[in-house]
Amino acid sequence: MTPPLALTALPQEQVATTPNPGGNALLDLVNKIGPPEWIPDWIVALHAVGAGVGILIGIVSLIAMYSVWMERKVSGHMQCRLGPMYAGGWHGWAQTIADGVKLLMKEDMIPTGADRVLFIIAPGIVLASIFGALVAFPISYDFYFARMDLGIFMILALGSTTTIGVIMAGWASNSKWSLYGAMREAAQVIAYEIPLGLALMAPLITLGTFSLLDASALQSDWFGMKWAIFTNPANLPAFVIFWIAALAETKRAPFDLPEAESELVAGFLTEYSGIRWSFFFMEEYAAMFLMSVIAAMFWFGGFESPATWALRSAGVEGGIFFGAVCFVTLVIKAFAGVFLMMWLRWTLPRVRIDQVMTMGYKYLTPLALLCVLIAAVSEAVKSLLF
Amino acid sequence: MVSTKEYFQNVWDALKTTAIGMRITGKYLMQKPITVQYPDERLPIPDRYRGIHYLEQEKCINCLACARACPIDCIEMDAIRHGKELEWVAFTLDYQKCMFCELCVYPCPKDCIHMGTEFALVTYDRSELNHDLLSFQGMGRGARIRMREAQAKKAAKEKAKAAAAAKKADTEKDADEPEAAGAGTGGDE
Repeated sequence: MTPPLALTALPQEQVATTPNPGGNALLDLVNKIGPPEWIPDWIVALHAVGAGVGILIGIVSLIAMYSVWMERKVSGHMQCRLGPMYAGGWHGWAQTIADGVKLLMKEDMIPTGADRVLFIIAPGIVLASIFGALVAFPISYDFYFARMDLGIFMILALGSTTTIGVIMAGWASNSKWSLYGAMREAAQVIAYEIPLGLALMAPLITLGTFSLLDASALQSDWFGMKWAIFTNPANLPAFVIFWIAALAETKRAPFDLPEAESELVAGFLTEYSGIRWSFFFMEEYAAMFLMSVIAAMFWFGGFESPATWALRSAGVEGGIFFGAVCFVTLVIKAFAGVFLMMWLRWTLPRVRIDQVMTMGYKYLTPLALLCVLIAAVSEAVKSLLF
Repeated sequence: MVSTKEYFQNVWDALKTTAIGMRITGKYLMQKPITVQYPDERLPIPDRYRGIHYLEQEKCINCLACARACPIDCIEMDAIRHGKELEWVAFTLDYQKCMFCELCVYPCPKDCIHMGTEFALVTYDRSELNHDLLSFQGMGRGARIRMREAQAKKAAKEKAKAAAAAKKADTEKDADEPEAAGAGTGGDE
């Protein structure tokens, strides 16, 4: 894919040098193993895709489970409580598994006046959109489901598709609370998509790429600390704006107006129970993780850290060990982001809907535009000076 | 409409107050939790706490003072008296009714009913709330021994009395029969 017009003017050394452009790492792996000749290619490809989907579902479920557990522990300790302590033995690590089993056992109820079809497919759409967005999430430099030059576009586009599912759920529930929640979700997402995308522009201008893998590779200098947040003055305020918008996008407190348990029962979740309800929650936690991954990739160096720098200078690059270090680095950074979201949730009181709108349109959008301007100007100055 | 200065002041205030709030929650996060894992560990309970009663059954004399003092009649007690010893049949306290007023504790002449520190009244069935305060029914070991001793003593006394009576009768008989004059000899037969 050719880079967008605005980016073709960038210096040549900024073009990424990650191995294996295009294609699917799993498919390459399968080809390396070399299946027998008589098996048609499409069956091999289908198996590779199936394995990819399996890994993805496993990762998302694990992330959602441990984010829920972490949320409960963090919120407990912030209120001087202990949080779950019994299930599984050590600090209640199996609490979410127990909860999941309980949710599977629960009666699957559909309200009488509900639109059955929409009611049933809404949680599926919500979950499918986040799974789709996670396809662009690379596990390491050599292992990814899809290498996308415009990965961040795809993540943002599919990430905002959840809104359709939420509106469907609200409409299909045949409940005023649900519809209010869904309308608020729509208003909020429309308001915050703009600053989210604009704030992302600042590191995109700094790095000059839309691909997550390339963005990470470009931040590998300075002993693995040439992170975008240090290389451009506009990136720190852009990160703050991005983070506020990401909180609103993922419906997290202080922007949890679509759920709003104090005034709207549970918003669009009111009529849902059991496993369908837990799909919405999996989506919320997976979206939190995904937003944190974006922040880690474009502001905080992606896979790069002094550890990967040390390995690379020792001549270890590629291979399973290096890939594992990359993955652990990214997951640690992403979970630091998830922790920051939880910290903000338990610190700030909820804002009113008009305050949410004011903040989105009057504050974040102009400030994000200002950030883009500063980022562009400082990049231009840098390219003139150095 | 806000002025430019106010606008940036608002932005600054939002960031500053969020930072202050995050410092406070962060401090609490680092602090040791003040709650305890309840069934395993418990916080100390004050001495004068009015929990579930306990009864020093050995001291109780079945005087019914506590049952009479109870304003809602939740104490039921019954015992069979063997001389000074008691054979306990029942001493129940209905915690469906009890309001933990402690009025049963004061009138006790033997100071044997107390308010305890246990407070958990969770049951699967209401009938289980009718607690039996007796640690044993019937008689305790000490009470049995004391009763046996008392009975033996009583029997001996009876016997002695009977003997004395018999002797008296003998002496009276002897008095009727002039040739038997020895007083102590009658009992030896």
